[in-house]
Amino acid sequence: MSWLLTPYVERRTCRVLFYLLLGLPLGILDFTIVVTGFSLGLGLIVTLLGIPVLVVTLLVVRSLAALERGLAVSLLDAPMPRRGPARDRDSGVFWARLRGLVFARRTWEEAGYLILRLPLGTLDFSIAVTIIALAVSGMVMPIVVAAGVPVSIGSWEIDTFVESLVYLPVSVIFLLVGPRLVLAWSGLSRRLATALLGRLEPYESKLAVVDVLARTGEADGFLILDELELRFGRGPFLTPTHVEATLLALESLGQISARRENGRTLYALAR
Amino acid sequence: MDEFGELSLREREAKRIARRQWFWLHLAVYVMIQVFLFVIWLLSSASYPWFIFPLFGWGVFVAAHAVYAFVVRDPEEIMIERAARQAGKRQ
Repeated sequence: MSWLLTPYVERRTCRVLFYLLLGLPLGILDFTIVVTGFSLGLGLIVTLLGIPVLVVTLLVVRSLAALERGLAVSLLDAPMPRRGPARDRDSGVFWARLRGLVFARRTWEEAGYLILRLPLGTLDFSIAVTIIALAVSGMVMPIVVAAGVPVSIGSWEIDTFVESLVYLPVSVIFLLVGPRLVLAWSGLSRRLATALLGRLEPYESKLAVVDVLARTGEADGFLILDELELRFGRGPFLTPTHVEATLLALESLGQISARRENGRTLYALAR
Repeated sequence: MDEFGELSLREREAKRIARRQWFWLHLAVYVMIQVFLFVIWLLSSASYPWFIFPLFGWGVFVAAHAVYAFVVRDPEEIMIERAARQAGKRQ
């Protein structure tokens, strides 16, 4: 029983409910801006005016995604990689920055997330409102009937106090399980937000690994993973597989070298 | 393969198993709901076969989920396995 009631004393429940209720307005905003921007940009591309429109749309996508990321972190506790100020690929001359914006997989995942935000946000909003309505309706109905407001379910007119209690069991059930359902549903939203907004770009991991090896001289996979977790935080975006793939990529580029010692593989910057 | 490689392999295995379990759960929910809708259709005059709309509409997503669970592999996973194969050939 306490498992069912603890969400009532947790602050997280209110934050999650707020996030789900924000789903509809934010979904409409995100979808409208992204679809309008891309449609206008692609439609005008023959006049060359479309190119600046598309670039501005991509910049807006980045900003909206940053807003969504902030909301997912603060309201859903979604794990996201910690990033410092933009540098390396994001800095430098205008063309390099533009190339970074257009060719980064992250930009297109963020655009996909913003488009998906409308159907999923609508679903979030509907689920939250339905759970609240089901939890409250049974308690409100006797008051409404006592106030003389006509209430009917199909052809059945509810006009006595006893009849008005018909929804009470449903209400009690949803008062008990509703907050748990809200939290369970928010888990899916959190996973989606992390999957699409919280990805580490390969170049970010490569730079971080090179930084670690420059500092430590030589390190094995475990130490590199620990160092990357200190830098980016823990989450599904930073797994042993991700680190192993990054090390392999750097090795094949000739930027690092590997040697075996006592059953461990030690990595160092290539000389 | 060193200890870190084994950890990484176990993680990929766990992810693969979880993906398949989610798919079986999805399939079970899909089948139950479709049977439920079919029974409702059968009991309520059995005229226009409206139950085929959710059957095919949702079915597309179940099929996509099956592809994701059994066919699709992460690029990182492919890269690691390719490198392991190449290392095996060299030895």
